[in-house]
Amino acid sequence: MPRVLLDYIRYNGSGGKRVQAFLADFYKNLEKKQAVQTIGRGRVHVVAVTDRKEAAPGIIVLGLFAPELAAVTRPGQFVMAMPPCNGAAAVALGVYQACADRIALLFFVTGRRTRGLAMLVPGDTLELFGPLGNGFILDGLRDVAIVAGGVGIASVLLPAIQLRRCGARVRLFYGARTAQRLVERERFAEAGCEIVAATQDGSEGVRGYVTDALRAAKRPEHVLACGPTPMLRATAEIAAEWNVSAQLALEETFGCGVGACWGCVVPIAQSAGQAPPFPRRHDGVVYARICREGPVFRAGDLRW
Amino acid sequence: MVSVSEVDLSVDVGGLHLRRPTLMASGCYGSGEEFALLAEPAGIGAIVLKSLTKEPRVGNPMPRLVHTPSGMLNAIGLANPGVDWYLEHEAVKLSSLPYAIVGSVAGFSVDEYRYVCERLAERSEIAAIELNVSCPNVASEGETFACDPELTARVVRAARATTRKPLIVKLSPNVTDITEVARGAEAAGADALAIVNTVRGMAIDVETWRPRLGNGAGGLSGPAIRPIAVLAVYEVARAVRVPIVGQGGIETLFDALEFFLAGASAIAIGTANFGDPRVPERIVTGLAEYLAERGLNSMSEIVGKAQPSRAERTWGATG
Repeated sequence: MPRVLLDYIRYNGSGGKRVQAFLADFYKNLEKKQAVQTIGRGRVHVVAVTDRKEAAPGIIVLGLFAPELAAVTRPGQFVMAMPPCNGAAAVALGVYQACADRIALLFFVTGRRTRGLAMLVPGDTLELFGPLGNGFILDGLRDVAIVAGGVGIASVLLPAIQLRRCGARVRLFYGARTAQRLVERERFAEAGCEIVAATQDGSEGVRGYVTDALRAAKRPEHVLACGPTPMLRATAEIAAEWNVSAQLALEETFGCGVGACWGCVVPIAQSAGQAPPFPRRHDGVVYARICREGPVFRAGDLRW
Repeated sequence: MVSVSEVDLSVDVGGLHLRRPTLMASGCYGSGEEFALLAEPAGIGAIVLKSLTKEPRVGNPMPRLVHTPSGMLNAIGLANPGVDWYLEHEAVKLSSLPYAIVGSVAGFSVDEYRYVCERLAERSEIAAIELNVSCPNVASEGETFACDPELTARVVRAARATTRKPLIVKLSPNVTDITEVARGAEAAGADALAIVNTVRGMAIDVETWRPRLGNGAGGLSGPAIRPIAVLAVYEVARAVRVPIVGQGGIETLFDALEFFLAGASAIAIGTANFGDPRVPERIVTGLAEYLAERGLNSMSEIVGKAQPSRAERTWGATG
């Protein structure tokens, strides 16, 4: 977010109709401007770790001093973080927070590379490149259900905050295995989101999948989702039943992160705006790269 | 003592003249523009394009990548838009790039290889052609070329007949004796050999009890395969006279040096670009310093220096 704007909010507060209208306008223009730009492929940044928090066992939130990234990152974009261990590809992480001169990354420790990242402490430097990918399109949305599963929560805070700033109603449907792993809910509460939790063991909220909670809820105007593929598929189904549009941020193992290796693909309709210009196939389906054409796709365009 | 600026890093790979001995391995670097903002051209001698086939291919089902200890398994499956479409729509971008472009050719029959080679041979943007006879990720046929010296030789002969451009043949490590295939490729007219492609491997998901790659098996790359590749280069360098492009898990200057010393005239960097796009530049800078510190001013002074001297061989000192 631009520094000027932040200072404006800092001194004038973010409440009040006038400020809200100003912000809504500002973001509308920003969206328009960015929508016509070809999305850049980012640069290598060397950033400093400012804080580290273990939100739950194995769930890390890393705060980074990265003014340049914070200024340009849009909701739904990701960075490739280079783990401080040799012989490892960079890890794709959704940008969790971007505010003033700081961004934050939220990730689960699942293997060698994320373990390497989890060992970083304030004062260390981290190298990363980005921001990458196309983000969520939030223009004019008034009533949004955000569905997040597990580590998918990392990619939905930025859109939630932006939507709230524009005065939209935001309901967060948040699923995890246990109550302990439902981390960082307070950030969403601060932003003014209504939160519906679901846990698989029933330790909090609805017992079962988060999509069960979504199905039981009142129909929103639009759905955003990030999480494991089965959750996204179920979300897409529900959105289709409701006849509302949905944007899904896909999770996949990335190779290069910039569209070179074709390791992360998803079949989408050839007619979709995001379809790469490949030779036409008889079935009208084409593979799009999640890292380059995505990671956010319209549910209706996917042919999975 | 030689100053860094006096060091000449240029190499000649079977007629392909490179200002720096670093190639970006096929499939890992797209067409170059993907990494344009991330990597300095100063580290790049040439880019090997993603393999092209005669017909468009969508590639394998997902997942196509698994990160493994010290490496990465991939089973992309030669996804590409087909050579005709590529040349018509994408190749124009290549002429503006500040490094040499090597086209990569894959196929399922000798005729397909011939067709793609003919098409690439027509184009001035393409400085050399790499024959990918060793993709491990396409149902049965793909790798059988590189596993059979006679089949490899047939593909190379067919390709040779289509072009005078430098022809690099990329070989598989998944064979009993790579030197036999290498000799066959050399005899059939290869100008250089790329050693090695990925090593076949598998990862299994303990939750679903199924292979983690959509294709089942895949090709392992990264530091895990480096010693395998170094040995292959070392052995092939003794068996053939054509230059070798060494590749397999190169990440740092010292990794690259191992390949040069084993007998590679140039190296290719693949998976390491995914960990840090600045790897090629670092290797090139480091290489100039390494040579300068030792009073050497050209690449030929280190290539193959780990090979036993003739005297040692005569004495049988290396077994």
